Amino acid sequence: MTRSTLFLLIPCAVLLAQQPQENDKSISLSQVERKNKAPVSKELLKVKLPKPVEAKLDNGLTVLILENHKLPYISIDLLIEGAGPIDEPAGKAGLAAATAALLTQGTATRTSRQIAEETDLYGAALRANSGFGGNDSEVSVSGLSQTFDKWFALFTDVLLHPSYPDAELKNYRQRALVGLKQQRAQASFLASERFNRAVYGVFPASVVSASPEFLQNMTPADLQKWHDERYVPQNAILGITGDVNPRETIAMLKKSLADWKRSSLEKKLPPSPPVVEQKHVYLVDRPGSVQTNIVIGNIAIDRRSPDYVAMRVTNQILGGGGAARLFMKLREEKGYTYGAYSTFTPLAFAGPWRAFSEVRTDVTEGSMTEFFNELNRIRTDKTPASELEEAKRSIVATFALSLESPSQILQLAITQRRYGLPADYWDTYPEKIAAVTAEDVLRIAKKYINPANAQIVAVGDAAKIKAIMEKYGPVTVYDTSGKEITN
Amino acid sequence: MTRIPCAVLAASVVTLYAAGPLNIPFKEYKLDNGLRVILSEDHSAPAYSLAITYDVGSRDEKEGRTGFAHLFEHMMFQGSENVGKGEHFSLIDNNGGNFNGTTSEDRTNYFESLPANQLDLGLFLEADRMRALAVTQANLDNQRNAVQEEKRLGHDNQPYGDTMDTVNETAFDNFAYKHSTIGSMEDLNAATLQDVQAFFKRNYAPNNAVLTLVGDFKSEDALAKIKKYFGNIPAQPAPPKPDTSEPEQKGERSKTIRDKFAQVPRIDIAYKAPPSNEQDFVALDVLGDILSTGESSRLYQSLVKEKQQALQVFENSVGHRGPGLIMFIAFVRPGVDPAEIEKSLTAELERVKTEGVTDQELEKIRMSDTRQSIVGLQSSMSRAIQLGQYAVYFNDPNMINTLIEKVQKVTKEDIQRVARQYMVDAHKTVVITLPPEQGGAQK
Repeated sequence: MTRSTLFLLIPCAVLLAQQPQENDKSISLSQVERKNKAPVSKELLKVKLPKPVEAKLDNGLTVLILENHKLPYISIDLLIEGAGPIDEPAGKAGLAAATAALLTQGTATRTSRQIAEETDLYGAALRANSGFGGNDSEVSVSGLSQTFDKWFALFTDVLLHPSYPDAELKNYRQRALVGLKQQRAQASFLASERFNRAVYGVFPASVVSASPEFLQNMTPADLQKWHDERYVPQNAILGITGDVNPRETIAMLKKSLADWKRSSLEKKLPPSPPVVEQKHVYLVDRPGSVQTNIVIGNIAIDRRSPDYVAMRVTNQILGGGGAARLFMKLREEKGYTYGAYSTFTPLAFAGPWRAFSEVRTDVTEGSMTEFFNELNRIRTDKTPASELEEAKRSIVATFALSLESPSQILQLAITQRRYGLPADYWDTYPEKIAAVTAEDVLRIAKKYINPANAQIVAVGDAAKIKAIMEKYGPVTVYDTSGKEITN
Repeated sequence: MTRIPCAVLAASVVTLYAAGPLNIPFKEYKLDNGLRVILSEDHSAPAYSLAITYDVGSRDEKEGRTGFAHLFEHMMFQGSENVGKGEHFSLIDNNGGNFNGTTSEDRTNYFESLPANQLDLGLFLEADRMRALAVTQANLDNQRNAVQEEKRLGHDNQPYGDTMDTVNETAFDNFAYKHSTIGSMEDLNAATLQDVQAFFKRNYAPNNAVLTLVGDFKSEDALAKIKKYFGNIPAQPAPPKPDTSEPEQKGERSKTIRDKFAQVPRIDIAYKAPPSNEQDFVALDVLGDILSTGESSRLYQSLVKEKQQALQVFENSVGHRGPGLIMFIAFVRPGVDPAEIEKSLTAELERVKTEGVTDQELEKIRMSDTRQSIVGLQSSMSRAIQLGQYAVYFNDPNMINTLIEKVQKVTKEDIQRVARQYMVDAHKTVVITLPPEQGGAQK
């Protein structure tokens, strides 16, 4: 049964996004009104992670298995580094994504339709993708444990023997080209496209979608070559979680993946992108837009950075959720928006921090003022002890709650392997968070969150907001097709 | 807080389910004030989820008073006697929790997940706002504006934002499901504080709610805490329940709208369906799944791959406590007349009516439904939400376990019969959403 669509919902209040109001007179609060009557346990939550069983196959493949028999279900994630869009040759934006998308559309012995039918018949789901901005491709499969053998064989077939049929490629091309057009209707896409270009510059993560020229010209041979060169076991981690027996599974993997041969390819990265030094405003004109999408940020840290944990706490205070400063100020106090947040993107290379919101057009100016007030405040004022403690408790508790999901635990294990973090990294994670001080937050904010060189993206009705944005730096205007407008 | 000794409240009904593939155990209780309590222990992670499902949705709203149920969902986060404004957000967020509220036609629910050591916190927060919500003019004004912004974001500034409302308005005659859940901005602007206070008192009473708790706790401890926090909230006269029945639809309905953000046309084709717990609805949904689930489905293969009329096609089962819809939605490939898609879909439905479906197609949906049910029950939050919803909708929380069985019972003959009975032109509504006209590019 299509459970997700069985009941039509209007999801609301918080987590995902947004809210506000017309005038500020009706709300006078400037802070959360704390009555402090609700019972909160201060007891430190002890977190104990189940340990995955690990193995390294002869071909160099790293295997992590996490046994969990609660439901008759198994999930598998294969992460292949060195096979992502940032590894693509120049002029071939979209190669990694196309290779992944068409991986499941035909093998030496199965047609696209057979693969689809078998997947459904075994109660499985099979997916491959390669997200823009990343250095990896991912193949994931999950299904009922009663049909594990069958759907695992299917997974192995698409992983090792994709055939990239010409007809499927043509079909994909046509849909991808329309998709390129469709995503331009979304203000959020336009904002992320412009922001990535602004912060990454020439670094390949600046590309967020396929090149139409490449889509037009790509051939099955292009994809086959990329697959054969890049989908290699020595750069991959295979994670399995659920209703499995680790010993039997490893024996099975050795047999079924015997044909997957090691190569000499190493995963290499270009040098991390530098922080952009000059403040700049990128305005995407979307006439008729009733909101302005604002994104402010710059390059910060990679996942291995020793500053990661302190950055995690700093972000939590600034804009990490519905209790953070940006949300409380822009949504709860000012009523400018349905939500305002900040995030940071620590990858194999340095990625950006960003603060963002979608605000009503007529409060664009007030929103910009509040954003910059908050970005300055976290750099200049020491975070009060209670706010710091609450932020840290929130992170540790979120971490604990995430352990409800076996696939989350598996993801933690994969992250630890992928970035070469210490073996006890997650077991001591709560202690590391607890050790972050208010001085650390100031240091991190001063080091990375710098309003003076912030890259600012605004997607909205330029006729109404251009003059406002000009107060924040030199403005370049683009249309929704991505072309610079000069006048 | 005063403790009221509650002698009788706990006649427990233990429901155990063993036969099918799913066995989510739960126990049921009822407090003296009418609050229904459902507890389901699961000790696999140090966390729990709590859901309160109120038996009020937009179907309870009258003309001129729309949007109240959803407005209330917002009001519920604005503070109560012992919880300050904004404090609910910050308490849960700071303790690592997840929470939200949602409003549908048929109910309003509030839910949170928290670490296991914060059981008192979640119960306290929900009890305090059930007992003593701060229904003030300032909160009303503030949240009315919040809802209007949500409408701008979710409808006015999104492609196809008005499409689903148009389908409901066109397909339904009874006001209960005809009007949109987010409501009319004029109605919201006209709402007075007295209206809103009366709405709260009538609908947010313990006897109009179900509390579900799933996760890492001991039932007897949890029940004692639930009594402590909720036991002294007074019951209210039961609100009247709306008549949601629909007059028989006589003839196809259609409507075409323009959408300023749409890039490609979209066609929505809806058929009237019975309430979602009826076996016929389940059979219709299975048929919808057979036609549209996965790339091997008939509609994908025919409309997207072979005829190349649609970019995407999917089915949407709009299940209600009362009459619902089975819908097919397609994004139209540029240059294709949406009417061609309607023809192709009708042809596929006719094929089902005359030839039926195959064993393999039915088996495939059985497997994918089992899979989906299992995936949908992985988190304690989704279990808490579903138990509460089935209890409020159909007085049948065990539907969380038995829905799969209802699906398994569907036969090929059932599918052919419901296709003939429900998927007929007289019960059909078609809504076409077109991109804006630009220099005659659109025919």
